[in-house]
Amino acid sequence: MSESESRNVPTVSPQVFHILLTLVDDDLHGYAIIQEVAARTDGELRLTASTLYAAMKRLLESGWIEERSSRPAGAADDPRRRYYRLTKLGREIARAEARRLEQLAAMARAKRLLPPLGVAAPKGSRA
Amino acid sequence: MTDYALTPALRVYRRVMALLLPRRFRERFSHQMLAVFAELESEARQRAGRRGVVAALISELPGLVRLAARERRAVRAQLHSPNVVQRKGIMLDSLAQDLRFAIRSLRRSPGFTLVATLTLALGVGANTAIFSVVDGVLLRPLPVRDPARLVAVGEQSVSAGPGNVSVTSPANLYDWQRSARSVRIAGYASVSGTIMAHGEPQLLLGTQSIGGIMPLLGVPPVLGRLITEADEDPAAPATVVLSYESWRDLFGEDRQAIGKSITMNGTPRTVVGVMPPAFSFLGGPSAFYVPARYDAKVRENRDQYYIQVVGRLQLGTSLERARTEMETIAARLRRDWPTFNTNLKILVLPLQETIVGGSRTQLTVLMGAVAFVLLITCANLGNLLLARASGRRREIAVRQALGAGQGRVARQLLTESLLLALGGGALGLVVGKLFLDLLLAAQTITNLPRSDEIALDGRVLAFTFGVSLLAGVIFGSVPAWQLSRASSTAALREGTKGSDNQQWARSILVVSEIALAMVLLTGAGLLLRSFALLQRVDAGVRQDHVLTFNVRLPRDDRTFFPRSLQRVRALPGVRSAALVSQLPISGRGIGAWFNRIDRPLPPGTNPTGEAYRVVTPEYFETMGISLRRGRGIQTTDTRDAPVVVVNEALVRKYYRGEDPLGKPVYLGAPDNRLFNQAPIVGVVSDTRDAGLGSDPLPTVYIPLAVIPGWPSFSYVLRTQQEPNALIVAARSAIRELDPTLPVRNVESMDEVLATAVAPARWSTTLLGVFAGVALVIAVLGVFGVLSFVVTQRARELGIRIALGAAPAQVRRLVVARGVALVLAGVALGIVGAVALTRFMGALLFGVTPTDPATYVAVAVILVGAALLASYLPARRATRVDPILALRAE
Repeated sequence: MSESESRNVPTVSPQVFHILLTLVDDDLHGYAIIQEVAARTDGELRLTASTLYAAMKRLLESGWIEERSSRPAGAADDPRRRYYRLTKLGREIARAEARRLEQLAAMARAKRLLPPLGVAAPKGSRA
Repeated sequence: MTDYALTPALRVYRRVMALLLPRRFRERFSHQMLAVFAELESEARQRAGRRGVVAALISELPGLVRLAARERRAVRAQLHSPNVVQRKGIMLDSLAQDLRFAIRSLRRSPGFTLVATLTLALGVGANTAIFSVVDGVLLRPLPVRDPARLVAVGEQSVSAGPGNVSVTSPANLYDWQRSARSVRIAGYASVSGTIMAHGEPQLLLGTQSIGGIMPLLGVPPVLGRLITEADEDPAAPATVVLSYESWRDLFGEDRQAIGKSITMNGTPRTVVGVMPPAFSFLGGPSAFYVPARYDAKVRENRDQYYIQVVGRLQLGTSLERARTEMETIAARLRRDWPTFNTNLKILVLPLQETIVGGSRTQLTVLMGAVAFVLLITCANLGNLLLARASGRRREIAVRQALGAGQGRVARQLLTESLLLALGGGALGLVVGKLFLDLLLAAQTITNLPRSDEIALDGRVLAFTFGVSLLAGVIFGSVPAWQLSRASSTAALREGTKGSDNQQWARSILVVSEIALAMVLLTGAGLLLRSFALLQRVDAGVRQDHVLTFNVRLPRDDRTFFPRSLQRVRALPGVRSAALVSQLPISGRGIGAWFNRIDRPLPPGTNPTGEAYRVVTPEYFETMGISLRRGRGIQTTDTRDAPVVVVNEALVRKYYRGEDPLGKPVYLGAPDNRLFNQAPIVGVVSDTRDAGLGSDPLPTVYIPLAVIPGWPSFSYVLRTQQEPNALIVAARSAIRELDPTLPVRNVESMDEVLATAVAPARWSTTLLGVFAGVALVIAVLGVFGVLSFVVTQRARELGIRIALGAAPAQVRRLVVARGVALVLAGVALGIVGAVALTRFMGALLFGVTPTDPATYVAVAVILVGAALLASYLPARRATRVDPILALRAE
């Protein structure tokens, strides 16, 4: 796969989307990523060390994330942990993917596959 | 690396990662992965205890396998991708890395590097020098146009033996030239010419062209033109073509020399051409080339044999076809000229073969010897590297543990060896050049044909480079193979001790070194014994206090030689003086058919040619040849009452059981006799004229008075003091009579004899030097291995000493090991020597290739030297401190 292809038509697996999502508001280390993904998905998506780093290598190679050279301020944990951060490109990819999912969801709603927005929202709905 | 304790699960995870993941991925991520897994594991342990840990481990596996598969595919794709630049980049990267590392590693042990490079330089240097000789003489094609089509044509001579192309007569040459269709034929003969140069008469050796030899060879001149058949017409003007060297010497490379006249042997000749500098005439030096210009009488001569014949096969003609045709021609000549050609058989051989054939054995043996020296050097370097490598086992084990593959480690070690090899090779080239210069300066190889073509050129360079690389691969592959396959964990445990495996490898190397040295020493020993025997041979002359020199008279003056001899004899310090047409020991000389008048041969058979020498009365006394029967040659012998003296070899051949005295003989063909007939008046002792290693030839001595027109003589003077003291006086005695005559080959008879054994001497000396080098290297090898054994067994020896073993016992232990190695090597070496020295037969004199005394002597020398070499390690073994040896573990 050539680089330009990967940029124009990035395939983002659910796993990868979750990892990107995890890094949107915080730079994290490997174990923290696994924990956060698990927490957000209610334990439904449990990454292992192997699956995580298989993905991480691709993300690093694609330039979607990068390794932080400095540690985040206030990090008081194991000094050997590597922290990863979303790149600008990574953030755009994640946003594009989110939009794609949103559009898909909207189409499903139009077909009434899903209830209209607001109806199914028990609280905090804006509609 | 990690402060978390390595639990069994972590260890398994790490192991599986190491097993599955490619190195590049591991280097980058395995630490993080391990750290993450450690946290996952402890979380699982808290949640579900051991079952949780097992589950966590199992859940890792599918992902890990997928990851491994993907990553390995990627690595393969990268290596095999058509994107060569990137791939090459990787290879070059690691090559550069290997090189950098090798240089650093060699620089760290300068002693080792120096010894290895120097040893190798010696081995490669010897090979370079000898190869340049072999290349110049044997391998390189003759420096003429299309040399493969040139053949030597000649008569098969009974005395020269089969396979030797012999000279022919003018009439035969012209017959062949006219009849042959498949091959163009021309002849040449050696001639000499006296030229005045720089105010001094100079006698130059040149070549006479008979039937257009120069166009046949096809080497164009640098200036002017070649001698052609047209120049050979007796009515044509006298011409000469000069060699480049003569042109430089006589004309200072003046291009105006063409058309100028030089006086040669009193006759003016016009210079018509100059040959190129490298041109040497069929293996022999030639200062000039002149046309034959035979009149009709000479052209029809059939009993003067002196012409060497060369043929050029017509395009597309095979040697076989030329042979068949020449056989048909020979048959016709046998029929047409029964008197002269009864036994005529014409040989056709590849020209190069006939020029260098004689030296082939000598050079092949030498080339074999230097190859052996190189092999021994390689074995020894292999050993050195093994020893060095055993000190590096830990380093290599660590590199392997860190992920260096076997191939990578082997390649690294091989890179080091090749670097050493190239360094040694470069230095070897210098050594080779020095060695070759030494050989040439010592004039040891100037007796070889084509010796003027020997040079260090591109071919030799390529050879040296190839040999060095080969050597590097040979000696480098042993440790590389040994070390890279050694288990790294064992190495880490053993430290620098070295394994049994390695000890085996080293023992095998030493045994082969000794075997090779044994073969070489045997060869050298055989030559040495031959040489000693050769020098003890009675040449048949008393060579001390004899001065000799040669004068060739360019004109017919029958009084010159007797007059000059009188003058020389009158010199103070001269006891006796004589003339001889050719010095003894220096060659067979000229010969003629020997005919007994009292017992004529049956019609249709030809007599055999025998050597004859023209001498003056005091010759036998002066040369120390003793009179056995009858009388010597006296001043009263004249042309009107001719007599001859013969040697014992001739009596044995022709007068076995008879009294030769008084029997009448003549020399030559019935219608062309040297003298009409003469009785044998005396018998003298034999001299070994064909060389010290050959049997004496039957020889007839004819008084000068009987053949007064002989043109060239060697003067022999028996002197009271050192013969060389008379050189100046003798020269001026000749010069007073004729200042234009060159006095040549001034040397004592001792020197003449030394020249006769020179080829044997130089083979012997060279092989002796090589064998000596081999011995030293092999003995060093034994020393090295035993030292290694002592180090390796220090603990065992320490225990033995602690338990009360006497020093003598310990010593015996080590020495026994050395003796076992040497005996194995000697046994192998004897087999090799028997197999290989057979090929030396032609170089030996008086000993057989399986001479037991030589074998025993060589074996004793080797065993003795090896015992000496094992003494030091053995002594060190008795000094092993048991406490230290045990603590060292």
